[in-house]
Amino acid sequence: MIVDYVRLEMVRLLRDPGYLVLSLVSPLTMYLVFTSLDLTGRPGPQGAAYSMVGMAGFGAVGAVMGNGVSIAEDKRLGWIRQLRLLPLRPFEAVAGRTLCAMAVTVPPIVSVCLAGALVNGVSLSVGQWASVLVLLWVGIAPMAVLGIGLGYLLTGQQAQMAGLVCYMGLSLLGGLWAPITRFPGWLERVATATPLNRYGELSWRVIGGDAPAPAGCLILVGWAVLFAVFAAYAYRRSARTV
Amino acid sequence: MEVKATQTATAVDITGVTRSYGTVRAVDRLDLRLGRGTSVALLGPNGAGKSTTLSMMLGLIPPDSGTVTVLGASPERAVRDGRVGAMPQSGGLIGGVTVRRLLGFVRASYAARARGRTVPPLDELMRTAHVTDLAGRRADRLSGGQAQRVRFAIAMAGAPDLLVLDEPTAGLDIEARRELWAGVRSYAAQGRTVLFSTHYLEEADDYADRIVVIDRGRVIADGTSEDIKRRIPERTVGFDLDRPIAAVDGLPGVIGSEVRGTRVHLHTTDSDATVLALARAGLVRNLEVTGAGLEEAFLALTGSRGGTR
Repeated sequence: MIVDYVRLEMVRLLRDPGYLVLSLVSPLTMYLVFTSLDLTGRPGPQGAAYSMVGMAGFGAVGAVMGNGVSIAEDKRLGWIRQLRLLPLRPFEAVAGRTLCAMAVTVPPIVSVCLAGALVNGVSLSVGQWASVLVLLWVGIAPMAVLGIGLGYLLTGQQAQMAGLVCYMGLSLLGGLWAPITRFPGWLERVATATPLNRYGELSWRVIGGDAPAPAGCLILVGWAVLFAVFAAYAYRRSARTV
Repeated sequence: MEVKATQTATAVDITGVTRSYGTVRAVDRLDLRLGRGTSVALLGPNGAGKSTTLSMMLGLIPPDSGTVTVLGASPERAVRDGRVGAMPQSGGLIGGVTVRRLLGFVRASYAARARGRTVPPLDELMRTAHVTDLAGRRADRLSGGQAQRVRFAIAMAGAPDLLVLDEPTAGLDIEARRELWAGVRSYAAQGRTVLFSTHYLEEADDYADRIVVIDRGRVIADGTSEDIKRRIPERTVGFDLDRPIAAVDGLPGVIGSEVRGTRVHLHTTDSDATVLALARAGLVRNLEVTGAGLEEAFLALTGSRGGTR
């Protein structure tokens, strides 16, 4: 049933390519500008690789937050309520929507990585490339679930505001734009506890030749659980009238 | 054995249910039991608690207290098992997909939970709901009547045991209304339970076996259309005048009158006494006594208190 639901939502998504294009263009542009102006805080290929992960992740966050806004819009349309009146389990509805959100992260992740390889000469082994792509994609799941929770709980406008705060705020704080080592010490410590820092860290470590850190994975899983509880609560609160 | 028979004979059982929004008590210790295979109309002025009651019955909101049982299970369970079909007042039709794709998805969601029940094929569903001609249309680009037909098709997609319709004909023209009710009627004829709320009293009169009037979150009248009308003591006595008379208002029981040409209509709270008095006066040409209509009954039941809000 999840498959049917994902297929339906994907058809809707593909009918509105503007959203897909937008989620791809802004991280790609920012990546190229950042690296050509040398704003990444690290020189040369190292900076290009760091920023590639950062901007691909930034694009992915933007995509999943946009999905939250579209859920809030669906609520206004009565679609979320309609789904609750069908024999579709809440888990299927939320998981299906999460998969759709994650599907939308593929274009920004792939395009920024391509730009890294082709334009900025980021050179990684095949294994590293595969790991980075998979980790950038899988690791966004907690944020996708957060976006879904915001969509179920808030109105379209509120979801847009909240999404923007998470998109910009958490990306900046997480070091997707510039390394957190440039932050003051106390802020750096705060930053290491945030989901997007640990998300980026998965791939940064792979680029540096390390495996993802267990502590980082654990923090990310913790956020995932917290956001899932929030999304379940938000789902129950949605669609309160016939 | 007997217990089981009673359980299966009940489609919806609402017992002592209360639901408030802030300080407003939308539903107040409501008791309501719907037998299987009946068509029931839920009537009430705006804000009477109709939609809240339906929402609780569909598992969209939990009651503050009391219990709601649908087809022997919790409302959520009954909906998850695909045994309930619902047509909300509005919404639910998304952009970017055709009517056929949307209905195909809805039907598949029911088919996945069918467990031995038969879910009709998509083409048959579209035929019975009269939406075959809309199959290729975008679901968000339909007229009011077309959209309502599609919503009705969504509600019927799983051939559910219980069909809940919240003001299904609001905003529809007469033709569209008639078509929709034809669909509801043929559905009910299969022995399924239909519960609908409506603003149109004649719809309740025509299509429900039973009418439940609620006001301020409580049931204030419950029975057949005839039962409800009988609760209003008021009758109309009509007769033809063959000569002018001075006053009819002094007759016993009469609370109002109207004269159209030679025809007089008296509104009376005691039709027996009024008729006897008319007989004594020799005014019995084409004498006719009629009961109050459902509309009068409804207004009398809810209207007197409605003004204070």
